[in-house]
Amino acid sequence: MTDLLANLALGFQVAANPYNLGFCLLGALVGTLVGVLPGIGTVATVAMLLPITFGLPPVGALIMLAGIYYGAQYGGSTTSILVNIPGEATSVITCLDGHQMARQGRAGAALSISAIGSFFAGCVSTVLVAALGAPLTSLALLFGPAEYFSLMVLGLIFAVVLAKGSVLKAIAMILTGLLLSMVGSDLETGVGRMTFDVTELSDGIGFTNVAMGLFGFAEIIRNLEMSQESRDIVKAKISGLMPTRQDLIDSAGAIVRGTALGSLLGILPGGGAVVASFAAYTFEKRISKHPERFGRGEIRGVAAPESANNAAAQTSFIPLLTLGIPPNAVMALMVGAMTIHGIVPGPQVMVKQPELFWGMISSMWLGNLMLVIINLPLVGVWVSLLRVPYRLLYPSIIVFCCIGIYSINNSPTDVVISAIFGLFGYWLVKHDFEPAPLVLAFVLGPLMEENLRRAMLIARGDATVFATRPISAGLLLVSLFLLVLAVLPMIRKRRDEVFVE
Amino acid sequence: MAQRTIPTFGLKIRAPRDFFGGLVLIVIGLIALWTTQDLTGMRGFAFGPATAPRMFAWLLIAAGAGVSLTGLLTDGEKIEPYAVRGPLFVLVGILVFAATIRPLGMVIASYVTFLISIFGSSEMRWVESFIAAAVMTAFCVGLFVYLLQLPFQLWPAFF
Repeated sequence: MTDLLANLALGFQVAANPYNLGFCLLGALVGTLVGVLPGIGTVATVAMLLPITFGLPPVGALIMLAGIYYGAQYGGSTTSILVNIPGEATSVITCLDGHQMARQGRAGAALSISAIGSFFAGCVSTVLVAALGAPLTSLALLFGPAEYFSLMVLGLIFAVVLAKGSVLKAIAMILTGLLLSMVGSDLETGVGRMTFDVTELSDGIGFTNVAMGLFGFAEIIRNLEMSQESRDIVKAKISGLMPTRQDLIDSAGAIVRGTALGSLLGILPGGGAVVASFAAYTFEKRISKHPERFGRGEIRGVAAPESANNAAAQTSFIPLLTLGIPPNAVMALMVGAMTIHGIVPGPQVMVKQPELFWGMISSMWLGNLMLVIINLPLVGVWVSLLRVPYRLLYPSIIVFCCIGIYSINNSPTDVVISAIFGLFGYWLVKHDFEPAPLVLAFVLGPLMEENLRRAMLIARGDATVFATRPISAGLLLVSLFLLVLAVLPMIRKRRDEVFVE
Repeated sequence: MAQRTIPTFGLKIRAPRDFFGGLVLIVIGLIALWTTQDLTGMRGFAFGPATAPRMFAWLLIAAGAGVSLTGLLTDGEKIEPYAVRGPLFVLVGILVFAATIRPLGMVIASYVTFLISIFGSSEMRWVESFIAAAVMTAFCVGLFVYLLQLPFQLWPAFF
């Protein structure tokens, strides 16, 4: 306990440094600014803003990224509530009741409850991350290559299970991502693989290029197809920003339950935030005395998923910081950023760079606080931003992304590669493939291959090692179980379809 | 539905999105196999550089075949028509940026990229576009060059 307090104190010392505070503030602001733009989700926002942190010192950069992440998430819920366009899966649920509230002239209450809920969730989960960080790190010491490999399999299976639509297609996306991650020099021999003799590819495909192409450019091309007139911005002036006492009483329970559920689900690898918000909403609706109010502007329907979503977002740092395994696409971007700063995420970060680890954890809390203090008064600004027509918005995003990509390596080739991935992403959407599992697999690919090779080498080519080591076997069993769970309803549905015919 | 001339052994393509999506994945897998054919595979029980890529390529081919098969056996949606204008201008804009950033500097590259990509939307208006492009260029110069101090060349080298 004293350790925990001492560590948090160290963290706050780092985070409260005026520079870092400034980075956190800037990150939260810019994150909200971009996150508010309709059709741009959290992943796209973080991918777009990643390059602007590269010039900073590592601690500052990560703190700023954490700020961007929270800002993006908050911005996403603002858009959901005011415009009814969810930037991403996590905000879909918020749209249901949030937008209804806005239509009833209670946009202010919805926005502030979502900020307050997020803040509460942030407080709880920050402590949770700090408390669970150390014990989980010692767990990481039990992990050999075989266990790491199985854990990553579990993470990828999670991503498959949570992906929309067909399980098989999600698996195909995972495999595509793994394959793409192997472009470049081989880890052990240095031989170029699948590089087509392009010199720029011998270093591998840059992660930001992939993310920016699939989430940034592809999204824009996709949005251009849709009619821009369907936007339904709440025109009424937003008054009464502060929730009434009744609102607070109504939503207090929902916030607490959402936080608990979110913290729990966030630790699981594979995209906890989405499940968390869905689970919290469903749970809240089920235990409510008036389930019929949900979907018609029930404040609990905003409070619960928003808190859950934020709690999960925060606790999803746990697997990243302790085991070095990104549980979702945003965390995958964080790994990319860390690697660029020469930090290898994993158990050693906490021991070797305590100021970085604890500084980042404390800055999460500060970032949340800033969102409440700054963003609520700024709602008016965000609203006016929503009125900028898309025809002017998207070229700006393109220019911004281009400069961002170019700035990473000063390489025009990177810009071309991301354009190719933009086109590929557009194709994926047309065929109902989801890019998120691909990106996660792309990040995990090199780690997976390395651990697979090592495990096989240690076991002298005996593949049963993954089944005979208890932890590894357990992880694989859970993966299998999840996969079966995901496939079963699909088979049943298919059968029903057949019967209908 | 459009008539396609791909032999499907008497089966109708019931879900073209799945069917053609799977086919492309198979092609990606085959390309991966083809490019790694000269690399060494397993050496004893040690992985060679090509082992893992080949493994995943075969798995991808299997998954792609599965997806395609689903497209033959179950009903699914048609492929939405591909837009041409949006992707074309966005793509050309990005490529022009890549081509001009080195020789012409950031100001010109940004401005031109903005003006090209704005043609991707059918709602383009001239005057507004010129002003917006200038504002965005100024914003980017301010953010990246002055605020973040990134070493960009602003103007053409011969300027």
